[in-house]
Amino acid sequence: MDFRIVLFSTAVMALYINIAISVYGIIAKPNLVKKFIGLTIAQDTMNVMAILIGYRLWRKAIVQPPVLTNWSPTPEDIQEFVTRAVDPLPQALVLTAIVIGLAVNIFLVAAILHLYRHFNTVDMDEISKAKREMIVGETA
Amino acid sequence: MRSRDIAFALLILSILLILAVPTFLGALGSLPPENIRSLARSILGLTFNPYNKSLWTASPEAVAAIIWDYRGLDTLYETMVFYTAIIATLMLYREVLGSRDEVRGRGLSLIVKRGTAIALPAIVVVGLSTVLHGMLTPGGGFQGGAIMAVAPVVALIVFSRSIIEESRLTYAHLVALRSLALLGIVLVPLIPIIVTFGNAFIFQNQAKALYSFTYPSTVLDVPMGGLITFLNIFEGIAVFSAFTLAFTILLYSEKVSRKAVEGEDIGF
Repeated sequence: MDFRIVLFSTAVMALYINIAISVYGIIAKPNLVKKFIGLTIAQDTMNVMAILIGYRLWRKAIVQPPVLTNWSPTPEDIQEFVTRAVDPLPQALVLTAIVIGLAVNIFLVAAILHLYRHFNTVDMDEISKAKREMIVGETA
Repeated sequence: MRSRDIAFALLILSILLILAVPTFLGALGSLPPENIRSLARSILGLTFNPYNKSLWTASPEAVAAIIWDYRGLDTLYETMVFYTAIIATLMLYREVLGSRDEVRGRGLSLIVKRGTAIALPAIVVVGLSTVLHGMLTPGGGFQGGAIMAVAPVVALIVFSRSIIEESRLTYAHLVALRSLALLGIVLVPLIPIIVTFGNAFIFQNQAKALYSFTYPSTVLDVPMGGLITFLNIFEGIAVFSAFTLAFTILLYSEKVSRKAVEGEDIGF
Protein backbone atom coordinates (compact mmCIF):
# COMPACT_ATOMS: atom_id res chain seq x y z
CA MET A 1 0.00 0.00 0.00
CA ASP A 2 1.25 3.43 -0.94
CA PHE A 3 2.61 5.44 1.98
CA ARG A 4 0.82 8.60 0.77
CA ILE A 5 -2.55 6.82 0.71
CA VAL A 6 -2.01 5.71 4.31
CA LEU A 7 -1.15 9.28 5.33
CA PHE A 8 -4.18 10.67 3.49
CA SER A 9 -6.55 8.17 5.11
CA THR A 10 -5.08 9.00 8.51
CA ALA A 11 -5.70 12.70 7.89
CA VAL A 12 -9.31 12.04 6.89
CA MET A 13 -9.85 9.84 9.95
CA ALA A 14 -8.31 12.51 12.24
CA LEU A 15 -10.71 15.09 10.82
CA TYR A 16 -13.66 12.77 11.51
CA ILE A 17 -12.49 12.33 15.10
CA ASN A 18 -12.25 16.12 15.34
CA ILE A 19 -15.86 16.47 14.13
CA ALA A 20 -17.08 13.88 16.66
CA ILE A 21 -15.26 15.60 19.54
CA SER A 22 -16.58 19.03 18.57
CA VAL A 23 -20.16 17.69 18.39
CA TYR A 24 -19.61 16.25 21.87
CA GLY A 25 -18.36 19.65 23.04
CA ILE A 26 -21.38 21.45 21.60
CA ILE A 27 -23.92 19.03 23.10
CA ALA A 28 -22.43 17.96 26.41
CA LYS A 29 -20.78 21.07 27.85
CA PRO A 30 -23.13 23.46 29.69
CA ASN A 31 -20.61 26.31 29.44
CA LEU A 32 -21.50 28.60 26.51
CA VAL A 33 -17.87 29.53 25.84
CA LYS A 34 -16.95 25.83 25.57
CA LYS A 35 -19.92 25.27 23.26
CA PHE A 36 -18.64 28.15 21.12
CA ILE A 37 -15.12 26.69 21.01
CA GLY A 38 -16.61 23.35 19.91
CA LEU A 39 -18.55 25.13 17.17
CA THR A 40 -15.45 26.86 15.80
CA ILE A 41 -13.53 23.57 15.84
CA ALA A 42 -16.35 21.96 13.84
CA GLN A 43 -16.33 24.86 11.34
CA ASP A 44 -12.59 24.70 10.79
CA THR A 45 -12.58 20.91 10.50
CA MET A 46 -15.25 20.98 7.82
CA ASN A 47 -13.34 23.68 5.93
CA VAL A 48 -10.15 21.60 5.98
CA MET A 49 -12.22 18.59 4.90
CA ALA A 50 -13.56 20.47 1.87
CA ILE A 51 -10.08 21.61 0.82
CA LEU A 52 -8.72 18.08 1.27
CA ILE A 53 -11.34 16.75 -1.15
CA GLY A 54 -10.06 19.19 -3.79
CA TYR A 55 -6.53 17.85 -3.38
CA ARG A 56 -5.13 15.50 -6.03
CA LEU A 57 -2.37 12.92 -6.06
CA TRP A 58 -0.11 13.69 -9.02
CA ARG A 59 2.51 11.02 -9.21
CA LYS A 60 4.89 12.47 -11.80
CA ALA A 61 5.59 15.82 -10.16
CA ILE A 62 4.59 18.04 -7.24
CA VAL A 63 1.02 19.36 -7.24
CA GLN A 64 0.63 23.08 -7.70
CA PRO A 65 -1.70 25.67 -6.17
CA PRO A 66 -4.32 26.97 -8.65
CA VAL A 67 -2.23 30.05 -9.46
CA LEU A 68 -0.66 30.52 -12.88
CA THR A 69 2.76 32.13 -12.36
CA ASN A 70 3.59 32.56 -16.05
CA TRP A 71 1.86 35.70 -17.35
CA SER A 72 2.43 35.08 -21.07
CA PRO A 73 1.62 31.37 -21.28
CA THR A 74 1.76 29.20 -24.37
CA PRO A 75 -1.06 26.66 -24.89
CA GLU A 76 1.32 23.95 -23.59
CA ASP A 77 1.90 25.92 -20.37
CA ILE A 78 -1.86 26.15 -19.79
CA GLN A 79 -2.25 22.42 -20.48
CA GLU A 80 0.52 21.63 -17.98
CA PHE A 81 -1.14 23.95 -15.43
CA VAL A 82 -4.47 22.13 -15.84
CA THR A 83 -2.86 18.74 -15.31
CA ARG A 84 -0.87 19.79 -12.24
CA ALA A 85 -3.02 22.26 -10.26
CA VAL A 86 -5.38 21.24 -7.45
CA ASP A 87 -9.14 21.90 -7.60
CA PRO A 88 -9.79 25.66 -7.03
CA LEU A 89 -13.54 25.29 -6.47
CA PRO A 90 -13.48 23.96 -2.85
CA GLN A 91 -10.97 26.67 -1.95
CA ALA A 92 -13.30 29.39 -3.25
CA LEU A 93 -16.28 27.88 -1.41
CA VAL A 94 -14.26 27.56 1.81
CA LEU A 95 -13.22 31.20 1.54
CA THR A 96 -16.90 32.15 1.42
CA ALA A 97 -17.67 29.84 4.34
CA ILE A 98 -14.87 31.34 6.45
CA VAL A 99 -16.11 34.90 5.89
CA ILE A 100 -19.68 34.06 6.84
CA GLY A 101 -18.51 31.89 9.74
CA LEU A 102 -16.38 34.68 11.13
CA ALA A 103 -19.21 37.21 10.97
CA VAL A 104 -21.60 34.79 12.68
CA ASN A 105 -18.92 34.01 15.28
CA ILE A 106 -18.59 37.70 16.14
CA PHE A 107 -22.36 37.85 16.60
CA LEU A 108 -22.30 34.76 18.84
CA VAL A 109 -19.49 36.20 20.97
CA ALA A 110 -21.43 39.42 21.42
CA ALA A 111 -24.55 37.46 22.37
CA ILE A 112 -22.62 35.35 24.91
CA LEU A 113 -21.09 38.52 26.39
CA HIS A 114 -24.60 39.96 26.72
CA LEU A 115 -25.87 36.84 28.45
CA TYR A 116 -22.91 36.97 30.84
CA ARG A 117 -23.58 40.60 31.72
CA HIS A 118 -27.24 39.85 32.23
CA PHE A 119 -27.04 36.63 34.29
CA ASN A 120 -23.44 36.86 35.63
CA THR A 121 -22.78 33.32 34.37
CA VAL A 122 -22.22 31.53 31.06
CA ASP A 123 -23.50 28.18 32.35
CA MET A 124 -26.57 27.11 30.34
CA ASP A 125 -28.05 25.12 33.25
CA GLU A 126 -27.87 28.06 35.65
CA ILE A 127 -29.25 30.46 33.04
CA SER A 128 -32.28 28.27 32.40
CA LYS A 129 -32.77 27.89 36.17
CA ALA A 130 -32.68 31.68 36.60
CA LYS A 131 -35.13 32.10 33.72
CA ARG A 132 -37.52 29.55 35.26
CA GLU A 133 -37.41 31.36 38.60
CA MET A 134 -38.06 34.65 36.81
CA ILE A 135 -41.11 33.26 35.03
CA VAL A 136 -42.45 31.74 38.26
CA GLY A 137 -41.93 35.05 40.05
CA GLU A 138 -43.80 36.97 37.37
CA THR A 139 -46.81 34.65 37.23
CA ALA A 140 -47.15 34.41 41.03
CA MET B 1 -23.67 10.71 35.66
CA ARG B 2 -22.48 7.25 34.62
CA SER B 3 -25.18 6.61 32.00
CA ARG B 4 -24.71 10.12 30.61
CA ASP B 5 -21.03 9.42 29.92
CA ILE B 6 -21.87 6.13 28.20
CA ALA B 7 -24.47 7.87 26.05
CA PHE B 8 -21.96 10.48 24.92
CA ALA B 9 -19.29 7.85 24.20
CA LEU B 10 -21.86 6.01 22.05
CA LEU B 11 -22.71 9.29 20.32
CA ILE B 12 -19.07 9.96 19.41
CA LEU B 13 -18.61 6.38 18.19
CA SER B 14 -21.74 6.46 16.05
CA ILE B 15 -20.76 9.80 14.46
CA LEU B 16 -17.35 8.34 13.65
CA LEU B 17 -18.86 5.18 12.14
CA ILE B 18 -21.49 7.08 10.13
CA LEU B 19 -18.75 9.26 8.62
CA ALA B 20 -15.92 6.76 8.26
CA VAL B 21 -17.65 3.66 6.86
CA PRO B 22 -19.04 5.31 3.68
CA THR B 23 -15.75 7.19 3.17
CA PHE B 24 -13.68 4.04 3.10
CA LEU B 25 -16.30 2.27 0.96
CA GLY B 26 -15.67 4.98 -1.64
CA ALA B 27 -18.29 7.70 -1.03
CA LEU B 28 -15.74 10.45 -1.72
CA GLY B 29 -14.22 8.57 -4.66
CA SER B 30 -10.73 7.17 -4.46
CA LEU B 31 -8.63 8.61 -1.64
CA PRO B 32 -6.60 10.66 -2.36
CA PRO B 33 -8.28 11.78 -5.60
CA GLU B 34 -6.11 11.27 -8.67
CA ASN B 35 -8.08 13.62 -10.93
CA ILE B 36 -10.01 16.82 -10.45
CA ARG B 37 -13.58 17.34 -11.61
CA SER B 38 -14.22 18.44 -15.19
CA LEU B 39 -15.64 21.78 -13.96
CA ALA B 40 -12.37 22.51 -12.17
CA ARG B 41 -10.42 21.50 -15.28
CA SER B 42 -12.32 23.92 -17.50
CA ILE B 43 -12.01 26.76 -14.98
CA LEU B 44 -8.25 26.18 -14.63
CA GLY B 45 -7.85 26.06 -18.40
CA LEU B 46 -9.90 29.20 -19.09
CA THR B 47 -9.11 31.59 -16.25
CA PHE B 48 -5.94 33.00 -17.86
CA ASN B 49 -6.18 31.76 -21.41
CA PRO B 50 -5.27 34.58 -23.86
CA TYR B 51 -6.17 32.28 -26.78
CA ASN B 52 -9.85 32.13 -25.79
CA LYS B 53 -10.61 35.70 -24.78
CA SER B 54 -14.39 35.29 -24.82
CA LEU B 55 -14.27 33.15 -21.67
CA TRP B 56 -11.17 34.30 -19.80
CA THR B 57 -11.08 36.48 -16.66
CA ALA B 58 -7.56 37.96 -17.03
CA SER B 59 -6.75 36.76 -13.50
CA PRO B 60 -3.91 34.20 -13.19
CA GLU B 61 -5.31 33.14 -9.81
CA ALA B 62 -8.16 30.68 -10.33
CA VAL B 63 -9.67 31.13 -6.85
CA ALA B 64 -10.04 34.91 -7.27
CA ALA B 65 -11.51 34.29 -10.73
CA ILE B 66 -14.15 31.95 -9.28
CA ILE B 67 -14.94 34.23 -6.36
CA TRP B 68 -15.47 37.51 -8.24
CA ASP B 69 -16.12 36.42 -11.83
CA TYR B 70 -17.45 32.91 -12.49
CA ARG B 71 -19.46 32.82 -9.26
CA GLY B 72 -19.54 36.55 -8.55
CA LEU B 73 -23.18 36.67 -7.49
CA ASP B 74 -22.48 34.11 -4.73
CA THR B 75 -19.83 36.39 -3.29
CA LEU B 76 -22.09 39.42 -3.57
CA TYR B 77 -24.71 37.68 -1.43
CA GLU B 78 -22.02 36.42 0.93
CA THR B 79 -20.96 40.04 1.44
CA MET B 80 -24.59 40.84 2.24
CA VAL B 81 -24.66 38.10 4.88
CA PHE B 82 -21.43 39.46 6.34
CA TYR B 83 -22.88 42.97 6.41
CA THR B 84 -26.08 41.79 8.08
CA ALA B 85 -24.29 39.72 10.71
CA ILE B 86 -22.23 42.74 11.78
CA ILE B 87 -25.42 44.86 11.83
CA ALA B 88 -26.97 42.22 14.13
CA THR B 89 -23.94 42.49 16.44
CA LEU B 90 -24.29 46.27 16.52
CA MET B 91 -28.02 46.00 17.28
CA LEU B 92 -27.22 44.12 20.50
CA TYR B 93 -25.47 47.31 21.65
CA ARG B 94 -27.98 49.79 20.24
CA GLU B 95 -28.25 51.67 23.56
CA VAL B 96 -24.59 52.69 23.64
CA LEU B 97 -23.64 52.84 19.93
CA GLY B 98 -21.37 55.78 19.17
CA SER B 99 -21.37 57.10 22.74
CA ARG B 100 -18.18 58.20 24.45
CA ASP B 101 -16.60 55.87 26.95
CA GLU B 102 -16.77 57.20 30.52
CA VAL B 103 -13.59 55.51 31.71
CA ARG B 104 -10.50 57.43 30.59
CA GLY B 105 -7.76 54.88 30.02
CA ARG B 106 -4.10 55.81 29.83
CA GLY B 107 -2.94 52.90 27.70
CA LEU B 108 0.28 50.94 28.09
CA SER B 109 3.78 52.32 28.75
CA LEU B 110 5.58 54.76 26.48
CA ILE B 111 7.91 52.06 25.10
CA VAL B 112 4.98 49.90 23.97
CA LYS B 113 3.22 52.92 22.51
CA ARG B 114 6.20 54.01 20.40
CA GLY B 115 6.94 50.45 19.26
CA THR B 116 3.31 49.94 18.24
CA ALA B 117 3.22 53.29 16.45
CA ILE B 118 6.15 52.13 14.30
CA ALA B 119 4.59 48.73 13.61
CA LEU B 120 1.05 49.92 12.79
CA PRO B 121 1.79 51.35 9.29
CA ALA B 122 3.62 48.13 8.44
CA ILE B 123 0.53 46.06 9.34
CA VAL B 124 -1.66 48.27 7.13
CA VAL B 125 0.84 48.05 4.26
CA VAL B 126 0.93 44.25 4.42
CA GLY B 127 -2.88 44.20 4.34
CA LEU B 128 -3.01 46.62 1.40
CA SER B 129 -0.45 44.55 -0.50
CA THR B 130 -2.56 41.42 0.09
CA VAL B 131 -5.64 43.24 -1.22
CA LEU B 132 -3.95 44.67 -4.31
CA HIS B 133 -2.26 41.39 -5.27
CA GLY B 134 -5.48 39.39 -4.86
CA MET B 135 -5.57 38.45 -8.56
CA LEU B 136 -1.88 37.43 -8.76
CA THR B 137 -1.19 35.52 -5.54
CA PRO B 138 -3.34 33.85 -2.87
CA GLY B 139 -5.05 36.66 -1.02
CA GLY B 140 -7.74 39.16 -1.78
CA GLY B 141 -10.17 41.57 -0.23
CA PHE B 142 -11.25 39.56 2.75
CA GLN B 143 -7.81 38.35 3.80
CA GLY B 144 -6.22 41.78 3.31
CA GLY B 145 -9.06 43.47 5.18
CA ALA B 146 -8.70 41.03 8.07
CA ILE B 147 -4.94 41.75 8.23
CA MET B 148 -5.54 45.52 8.15
CA ALA B 149 -8.14 45.22 10.93
CA VAL B 150 -5.38 43.99 13.26
CA ALA B 151 -3.98 47.54 13.32
CA PRO B 152 -6.98 49.28 14.96
CA VAL B 153 -7.45 46.37 17.40
CA VAL B 154 -3.82 46.64 18.57
CA ALA B 155 -4.15 50.43 18.69
CA LEU B 156 -7.32 50.16 20.82
CA ILE B 157 -5.52 48.01 23.38
CA VAL B 158 -2.19 49.85 23.44
CA PHE B 159 -3.39 53.48 23.28
CA SER B 160 -6.63 52.77 25.23
CA ARG B 161 -10.09 53.64 23.96
CA SER B 162 -9.48 57.39 24.03
CA ILE B 163 -7.76 56.99 20.64
CA ILE B 164 -11.23 56.70 19.09
CA GLU B 165 -12.21 60.16 20.32
CA GLU B 166 -8.85 61.62 19.29
CA SER B 167 -8.60 59.99 15.85
CA ARG B 168 -11.11 59.89 13.02
CA LEU B 169 -12.01 56.21 13.51
CA THR B 170 -15.34 57.20 15.05
CA TYR B 171 -18.49 55.12 14.88
CA ALA B 172 -20.20 57.34 12.31
CA HIS B 173 -17.15 57.44 10.04
CA LEU B 174 -16.72 53.66 10.12
CA VAL B 175 -20.40 53.01 9.36
CA ALA B 176 -20.27 55.49 6.47
CA LEU B 177 -17.06 53.91 5.13
CA ARG B 178 -18.59 50.44 5.33
CA SER B 179 -21.78 51.46 3.56
CA LEU B 180 -19.79 53.22 0.81
CA ALA B 181 -17.67 50.10 0.30
CA LEU B 182 -20.79 47.95 0.01
CA LEU B 183 -22.25 50.46 -2.44
CA GLY B 184 -19.06 50.08 -4.49
CA ILE B 185 -19.39 46.30 -4.44
CA VAL B 186 -22.96 46.63 -5.75
CA LEU B 187 -22.09 49.29 -8.36
CA VAL B 188 -19.02 47.64 -9.96
CA PRO B 189 -21.03 44.71 -11.43
CA LEU B 190 -23.74 47.15 -12.58
CA ILE B 191 -21.39 49.61 -14.33
CA PRO B 192 -21.19 47.52 -17.57
CA ILE B 193 -24.98 47.64 -17.86
CA ILE B 194 -25.20 51.36 -17.04
CA VAL B 195 -22.38 52.43 -19.39
CA THR B 196 -23.60 50.42 -22.40
CA PHE B 197 -27.34 51.11 -21.81
CA GLY B 198 -28.17 47.47 -21.18
CA ASN B 199 -25.85 45.84 -23.71
CA ALA B 200 -23.86 43.85 -21.15
CA PHE B 201 -24.25 41.11 -18.58
CA ILE B 202 -24.28 41.74 -14.86
CA PHE B 203 -20.80 40.95 -13.48
CA GLN B 204 -19.38 41.19 -17.01
CA ASN B 205 -15.61 41.31 -16.67
CA GLN B 206 -13.98 40.79 -20.07
CA ALA B 207 -15.62 41.07 -23.48
CA LYS B 208 -17.98 38.19 -24.27
CA ALA B 209 -19.13 36.89 -27.65
CA LEU B 210 -22.41 38.82 -27.42
CA TYR B 211 -21.42 42.05 -25.69
CA SER B 212 -18.12 43.82 -26.12
CA PHE B 213 -17.89 45.81 -22.86
CA THR B 214 -14.61 45.06 -21.09
CA TYR B 215 -12.84 46.13 -17.95
CA PRO B 216 -9.06 46.69 -18.43
CA SER B 217 -7.19 43.38 -18.35
CA THR B 218 -3.70 44.69 -17.53
CA VAL B 219 -2.25 47.60 -15.61
CA LEU B 220 1.43 48.41 -16.40
CA ASP B 221 1.89 45.02 -18.11
CA VAL B 222 0.67 43.16 -15.01
CA PRO B 223 -2.61 41.21 -15.24
CA MET B 224 -5.25 42.91 -13.11
CA GLY B 225 -8.28 40.74 -13.75
CA GLY B 226 -10.66 43.56 -14.70
CA LEU B 227 -13.33 44.08 -12.07
CA ILE B 228 -11.64 41.64 -9.66
CA THR B 229 -9.20 44.36 -8.54
CA PHE B 230 -11.94 46.91 -7.84
CA LEU B 231 -14.11 44.40 -6.00
CA ASN B 232 -11.11 43.27 -3.93
CA ILE B 233 -10.38 46.86 -2.89
CA PHE B 234 -14.00 47.52 -1.89
CA GLU B 235 -14.25 44.19 -0.07
CA GLY B 236 -11.02 44.99 1.80
CA ILE B 237 -12.42 48.34 2.97
CA ALA B 238 -15.73 46.73 3.97
CA VAL B 239 -14.07 43.97 5.98
CA PHE B 240 -11.61 46.38 7.62
CA SER B 241 -14.34 48.72 8.78
CA ALA B 242 -16.62 45.85 9.83
CA PHE B 243 -14.02 44.25 12.09
CA THR B 244 -12.94 47.62 13.49
CA LEU B 245 -16.59 48.40 14.32
CA ALA B 246 -17.14 45.02 15.96
CA PHE B 247 -14.03 45.32 18.12
CA THR B 248 -14.71 48.94 19.14
CA ILE B 249 -18.12 47.79 20.33
CA LEU B 250 -16.85 44.66 22.09
CA LEU B 251 -14.05 46.60 23.84
CA TYR B 252 -16.33 49.15 25.55
CA SER B 253 -15.61 49.41 29.26
CA GLU B 254 -17.77 47.28 31.55
CA LYS B 255 -19.61 50.34 32.91
CA VAL B 256 -20.90 51.38 29.47
CA SER B 257 -21.55 47.82 28.30
CA ARG B 258 -23.84 47.18 31.29
CA LYS B 259 -26.09 49.96 30.00
CA ALA B 260 -26.80 47.85 26.92
CA VAL B 261 -28.51 45.14 28.99
CA GLU B 262 -30.39 47.47 31.38
CA GLY B 263 -34.14 47.05 31.45
CA GLU B 264 -34.07 43.76 29.57
CA ASP B 265 -35.33 41.63 32.45
CA ILE B 266 -38.25 40.40 30.38
CA GLY B 267 -36.41 40.42 27.09
CA PHE B 268 -34.46 37.22 27.52
